Amino acid sequence: MTDKKTITIALAGNPNSGKTTIFNNITGTRQKVGNWPGVTVEKKEGLIRKFGYDLKIVDLPGTYSLTPFSIEEIVARDFVLDESPDVIIDIIDASNLERSLYLATQLREIDSKVLFALNMADVARLNGTKIDAEMLSDLLAVPVVFTVGNKNEGIDNLLQEAIKLAETAPAEKEKRNVKYNKDIENAISKIQNLIEEKVKEKINYKSRWTAIKLLEDDKIVKERFAGKTGAEGEEILEETRNLRTYLLNHFDEDAEIVMTDDRYGFIAGIIKEVQTTTARDRVDFSRNIDLVLTNRFIGFPIFIFFIWAMFQLTFTLGAYPMDWIESGVNLISSFAGNIVPESLLKDLLINGIIGGVGSVIVFLPNILILFFCIALLEDTGYMARAAFLMDKIMHLIGLHGKSFIPMLMGFGCNVPAIMATRTLESEKDRILTILITPFMSCSAKLPVYIVLAGTFFAAKAGNVIFSLYLLGIVLSILSGRLFRSTLLKGVDAPFVMELPPYRVPMLKSLMIHMWDRSKIFLKRMGGVILVGSVIVWTLSAFPRNIEYSLDYSFEMNRVNESFNLKIAAAGDEDKEVFKKERIAAIIGLQKAMNAEKTEKSYMGRIGKGISPVFEPLGIDWRGSVSLLTGFFAKEIVVSTLGVLYSTEGHDDKDALKKALRSSGMTPLSALSMMVFVLLYLPCFAAISMIRKETASFKWTAFSIIYTTSVAWIAAFCVFQGGKMLGFL
Amino acid sequence: MKRTHKQEKKQFEKLFKQGHIDNFEDRFKVLDTFLNTENHVTSAELTQMLNNNGHALDNEFVRDTLKLMCNFGFARKNRFDNGVVRYEHWHLGQHHDHIICIKCKKIVEFEEDALENLQINIASKHGFHMLQHKMELYGICSECLKERVKLMPLSMAKRGERLVIREIMGGTGARMRLLSMGIRPEDEIEVVTNFSKGQVVIAVQSSRYMIGQGLAQKIIVEPV
Repeated sequence: MTDKKTITIALAGNPNSGKTTIFNNITGTRQKVGNWPGVTVEKKEGLIRKFGYDLKIVDLPGTYSLTPFSIEEIVARDFVLDESPDVIIDIIDASNLERSLYLATQLREIDSKVLFALNMADVARLNGTKIDAEMLSDLLAVPVVFTVGNKNEGIDNLLQEAIKLAETAPAEKEKRNVKYNKDIENAISKIQNLIEEKVKEKINYKSRWTAIKLLEDDKIVKERFAGKTGAEGEEILEETRNLRTYLLNHFDEDAEIVMTDDRYGFIAGIIKEVQTTTARDRVDFSRNIDLVLTNRFIGFPIFIFFIWAMFQLTFTLGAYPMDWIESGVNLISSFAGNIVPESLLKDLLINGIIGGVGSVIVFLPNILILFFCIALLEDTGYMARAAFLMDKIMHLIGLHGKSFIPMLMGFGCNVPAIMATRTLESEKDRILTILITPFMSCSAKLPVYIVLAGTFFAAKAGNVIFSLYLLGIVLSILSGRLFRSTLLKGVDAPFVMELPPYRVPMLKSLMIHMWDRSKIFLKRMGGVILVGSVIVWTLSAFPRNIEYSLDYSFEMNRVNESFNLKIAAAGDEDKEVFKKERIAAIIGLQKAMNAEKTEKSYMGRIGKGISPVFEPLGIDWRGSVSLLTGFFAKEIVVSTLGVLYSTEGHDDKDALKKALRSSGMTPLSALSMMVFVLLYLPCFAAISMIRKETASFKWTAFSIIYTTSVAWIAAFCVFQGGKMLGFL
Repeated sequence: MKRTHKQEKKQFEKLFKQGHIDNFEDRFKVLDTFLNTENHVTSAELTQMLNNNGHALDNEFVRDTLKLMCNFGFARKNRFDNGVVRYEHWHLGQHHDHIICIKCKKIVEFEEDALENLQINIASKHGFHMLQHKMELYGICSECLKERVKLMPLSMAKRGERLVIREIMGGTGARMRLLSMGIRPEDEIEVVTNFSKGQVVIAVQSSRYMIGQGLAQKIIVEPV
């Protein structure tokens, strides 16, 4: 046995064929999630050691065919073509043999080593469909293994077969591929001959496969072909065009449609041989559930209920662990305070790092619960129905229901939400969704609302926060319409989406899904938020030597001494009163000193510098600077306010509220500030994600400018409008 | 002459509307150009003719429209010796007075003395000596009127209906997508939901698909 040999195994298959379940079963938690080079499709890999081999399992995106309609299909095809995996395991959904074989025949055409995993045959058998695996294996000259993905059956057998196949020399026996009709076959061999005569050395792919793809007018293959072959290739492309015109006149259909018909004809022949269907009055549970959940009358109320329940769960259930984490952070903070000697470093550690990161990590429970719920909706199959139900509303924006999923995730965190736009097929739809997702109020903005609304609106705080969420949704719809009719004009692409069968979710897969997305949040914590917290701290802690308007230490001494005299002169009873007064006076002076210190710190200077911009919104320099720091993460807005109102070190939870109330901020300016926080530029992590996903500086800059302008205008309207109406 | 043209157009418009066919103006241009040529044309030739007349329509659309016209009975597909598909007006080379059903192409010959005499009178009034005439009344026969309701776009189907896909119209890209997802002509489907006038969920064997309104209009179905 050749030890230390790595075999690359690619998993291919239709969406919902149970591919991901099998992948999770094989690799467990040893997964590496990354991106496919150049495009924004998730690439999942797992390295395992089994039967003395190192196996590298690559999960290809689920596809229906190798004719590239979407990024996923291009990625899957490129991997198979360019990386030539040792074995491709094609997951065949036994209850949908015909369609599975459509992809399978295309994989066979590529001439790689293919192994079929006949998945969920047990379910198919219950439904009255029996498949003769041996016959299927014979007819297509492909090994077939039975698997039951959700029960983890047949996986070892599958891997053993894959290793066996990888170790055998490529079989020279006749491949059983699709035979097209006479006219098509003639055209294929004409092109194939030309390729072999003229440009064989220049192309990496098999000549028959290339000929088929050229005849199908496959844009990507055509481009690559032209790029590699030059003038001789152009001749071949010209000949192909002539052949396509000939076939078009002959069949009155584009060649690819005729070839698709032929493929299905070939498949029909196989199905006839291998599949026996006993007529049985089968109960299709999924169909029955769909009759209810997608019903035009009750479908929508049920959907609203699920979403409501999800948010309830997120925020009420999340409140408990939030408290624990909060006290945990306080514990660490005071522990650090006790052991680290008084120094600048201590200040940085406690107020900068622990304070900053701590204020963000408390949202981890919310994020985990929300993403767990979303994973639950996805894994049961309900998410696709939600997309269906939302389709009509999303059409108001000119988007398909599918865009709803990223927007929903936007309520948790924009970063994974923007990443989730990858599933959208049309480039324009993706950009549009990315542009409007930041208006979904992410969970990081919630603490800002809680502090401000809690301080100024007391009992009505709940309603105020709810209206803010609503405002975000309305503005995203309006913006969407605006973009659709101006910048991102586009016709509705034909929309068809498969609704996966309802399945009982598996905990393991739920956990993996939840973790994949929450990880992004945690990574942010270690990176951007940490750096942001340190910067905010630095700006507020420096310069160290400030020229105070008053010599505070002299003043404190003076106060101290005058009280000392008073205390000495006073009787026993008055002594206690004077002592208290002395403490109060000194604290007052200290506060004034802190306030002046912040005002004269770099942060204060920046705040004063930009405050004219925020003045018409009723936001003072402290508000301005905290909004600025919100660029790192929206949660930092609260902690910056804390720093600026010098409430640090106070254990009193309501200290900030008191300070805010006495600072001259009014309910109206608080509302204006909340509106601004809701709408203005996405946080640093979200912006970098937008940059990555749109692959364009232009769109990123546009998103920043647009959101901030909308925020300013909306806050302006709120503040000035409110003032005119007589609110303060 | 122009008025007849206008009336004809109106009739076609009505007919097309009944069949829920989009892009009427462009489709009519195709029809008009087609009816004005006496040749057997391929779809490519017709596209060329349209382009020459300043109508920039692509071949895919023209082919689609020609198929529609075959459905309605204006045109007939003909495969000549060299295997090239050409289209002709189905009535080319007819000589007598006819009533023609545009749907099933049924032709009823008729001769009416009053009409014959009237024609001679009219011709002589204009100082003509009549050599030949051609009289064709177009319409839909009573059988077809009954049958016409059978074929409909999927967007019109009701919840719970069992249907057979008869044809998928539209561009090659959209058709390829549907084909590769396993939605094909002659498949039997069941409508699980028709949500808001055209946004549907269908069941094909054990799979279910949601289909947008635009696409659902392009899938022509017939009740089982």
